[in-house]
Amino acid sequence: MKKLYVIAASLMVLPAISAVAANPNPAFKQRHQNFEAMGKAMKGIFDEFKKPAASLAKIRANSAVLAQSAQKVGGHFPKGTGPGAGVKTEALPAIWEKPAEFKAATDRLVTATAGLQAAAASGDMAKIKAAAGAVGGSCKGCHDSFRKPKD
Amino acid sequence: MTDQVQHVKVVVWDIPVRLVHWSFVALLPALWWTAETRQMDLHFTLGLTMAGLVVFRLMWGIVGSTTARFSRFVAGPKAISRYLKAPEDNPVVGHNPLGALSVVALLGLLALQVSLGLFAQDTDAVDSGPLNHLVSWDTATAASEAHGIVFNLLAALVVLHIAAIVFYRIVRKNDLVTPMISGRRAFATRVAQPALGSWIKAVVVAMLAAAIALWIGYGVPPWGAKFPWEQTDTLQDVPAADSYM
Repeated sequence: MKKLYVIAASLMVLPAISAVAANPNPAFKQRHQNFEAMGKAMKGIFDEFKKPAASLAKIRANSAVLAQSAQKVGGHFPKGTGPGAGVKTEALPAIWEKPAEFKAATDRLVTATAGLQAAAASGDMAKIKAAAGAVGGSCKGCHDSFRKPKD
Repeated sequence: MTDQVQHVKVVVWDIPVRLVHWSFVALLPALWWTAETRQMDLHFTLGLTMAGLVVFRLMWGIVGSTTARFSRFVAGPKAISRYLKAPEDNPVVGHNPLGALSVVALLGLLALQVSLGLFAQDTDAVDSGPLNHLVSWDTATAASEAHGIVFNLLAALVVLHIAAIVFYRIVRKNDLVTPMISGRRAFATRVAQPALGSWIKAVVVAMLAAAIALWIGYGVPPWGAKFPWEQTDTLQDVPAADSYM
């Protein structure tokens, strides 16, 4: 009988625990998906540079994704979503310790991706390549300061 | 030279095998270090050099000196157990049946590791392997992860390889390192000198391997990329500013 109570109690408590673990701040998931979309878009653009014949349509579509996603990055790091929140993250505490620098980095990304979208609209491959390089630089710059290096 | 009484010295490892072997020894730590410190340009150059050497060694394993040929030293489980029961019975000129496993595993893993690296990408999707643009994001991500795992396997095999050399040196009193440097090894009984691949053949195979590595490095033109001498950007769809969006 006692065993039954333990099982019954566990059955009631377990979903509650898993609900807590399964419902972290949605910012974690949102920013992960957003960054992945940006990574895919970046690859989509650089792939075209390497292919025998580049597709301007693909470059334009991916620059649009980048420009849109870039604007969301700044809002994806609310307080309490850093390391230590119980969710695996590569975000460094520097994001919250140096908010002005982080804002400058995300602004740089927004400017660079807007520049790339403008270059893509022009259809000038030299301009597009330079602008894509600037976007890559802004990714890397921010990752160097605010993202945990890969082991 | 006709002194056949004792310690007949024969060339077991030809110069190409030795050069490739010691290049692996130098390149593997360098590749690890350049990846660790994110010097990706150097990592790509060294990785393609590694690719060329692996391709050379695989081809040399078909047409090279007899001790380099896979068909001559790769043996089945029967031969391995026979060797393990009586390792000193017949002197093996070249790889013994057990050592052959190590050669196949190391070369196979090196080939796999180089292939994975060609498709891998870093997290920014900017520093990518020369064939990364031919596969999807998900495939490239999987290749990148496997590139990290296979390195660990490779490192474990290298440790095993070195441990085996130490074992042969201390327990068997058999120096395997010096022959890999000088090429020559002394045998107590009379053994036949292995047939060595000619210089010309080695140069031809090396040039072929280098050409294959370069071709991969440029993204396998004309299918995967433009030839490096085609400078102008070819657009698949004609830019028409007014039709945009």
